[in-house]
Amino acid sequence: MKITLFAASALALFVVCASVSGQSQAPAPPPAKKQPAAAKSTTADQDQKEGERRFLENCGRCHNPPESISPTEVNAVLRHMRVRAMLSAEDEKLIRKYLAP
Amino acid sequence: MLGTAAGLRAQTNAPILSGGVQFLSSTVGGNTFFQPAIAPVLVVPLGEHWLVESRADLRGFISHENGSTGPYSGQFIASLEYLQLDYIANAHVTVTVGRFLTPFNIYDERFTPFWIRDLQDAPIIFPIGTRTSGSNNGLMFRGVIAARKAWEVNYTAYFSVLSTTENLQSGRTAGGRMGVFFPLAGAEVGVSYQRFLQDVNYNSVGAYFTWQPPPIPLDVRSEYAHSPAGQGYWLEAAYHFSKSRGDTSRLGRLQGVARIQQFFKGTPTPGADLPLVDINRFDFGLNYYLPHDVRVNGSYGRQYSSAGNANVWEAQISYRFLFPALPGVFK
Repeated sequence: MKITLFAASALALFVVCASVSGQSQAPAPPPAKKQPAAAKSTTADQDQKEGERRFLENCGRCHNPPESISPTEVNAVLRHMRVRAMLSAEDEKLIRKYLAP
Repeated sequence: MLGTAAGLRAQTNAPILSGGVQFLSSTVGGNTFFQPAIAPVLVVPLGEHWLVESRADLRGFISHENGSTGPYSGQFIASLEYLQLDYIANAHVTVTVGRFLTPFNIYDERFTPFWIRDLQDAPIIFPIGTRTSGSNNGLMFRGVIAARKAWEVNYTAYFSVLSTTENLQSGRTAGGRMGVFFPLAGAEVGVSYQRFLQDVNYNSVGAYFTWQPPPIPLDVRSEYAHSPAGQGYWLEAAYHFSKSRGDTSRLGRLQGVARIQQFFKGTPTPGADLPLVDINRFDFGLNYYLPHDVRVNGSYGRQYSSAGNANVWEAQISYRFLFPALPGVFK
């Protein structure tokens, strides 16, 4: 009986989480900010965005980004996370551009 | 020019000292205790392929001498959680020798730092697959077997020797973990296995699941583990009160957490470090991420078992630090 109750609670928690996420997904995404025609993304900007995406995808599974990180520290931090989070060399390079551009 | 200079600096192999400090207050069934702690993490890159990394845990344990009455007394507990040398051979293989965290399921490797985990109490099933100390002394291989845009398969495999040296305890074990990560869905599933090879030989098996729906600041994590001494699961959900990840607004810094867990006793096994009764438990908590990597949190939990029910209250403040280990040497 208790097992059933707890399994039901687990399911309810999961459903609540899923519905919260569903509600958050429901509204249409905000319109993209208008960019001046002259302000085309540079390769560096694209790398930085891709680095942010890879940070959220890999490192963000466990923790938030550090508030600040200096270029002197970033190499050791990324090497540490390359082993812990099994990052590829390309992940390391792009996340470096995001954390310490 | 400045960018080039920054890029060159970024290539330096400056060692760093990171980690966290905390003050934790816990009240379990009316007994209150405090745990001030510091967990320094040292990382020393050596060239392009080598890395030395270490984490220690130094904490005080302060409690009433007679449980809930009498004067407070304290003891100091120190442990070396890992001290390992890594060789990053290629994208598929990293070889680790030394003392490392046991890669059984995900909690030990990913969520034992107190400045990262969302609820301060480790899950009841944490000892399954991580005996004798949560760390192993030996050899480990890990890496990504194959990666595509929509999926990635990762693995670890290790062997550990027996050690009874104080602060360096380790069991004679062999095991591994395999996981499949789906980046587009933000989900990962995996399984773990460990063979305990000293005294009583036995198997532990586990499975885990994580899910972070990409546009939403929601984290769902779960583990199941089984050993002869017992089995159980936990399921945790954490949600930042914002529309997106990385929101630093006042409300976006607030995170709500809920966890349920259930444990079923098995055959009592020496050194298993598991409860001898069935336990059901739920926890609710709030985390607030202040600027400068300071976090405060509080949680309430209720535990049900045949040994007695108990309320569990916890409050913690933690600070995560990061600075060069040799300031002035690398600029």
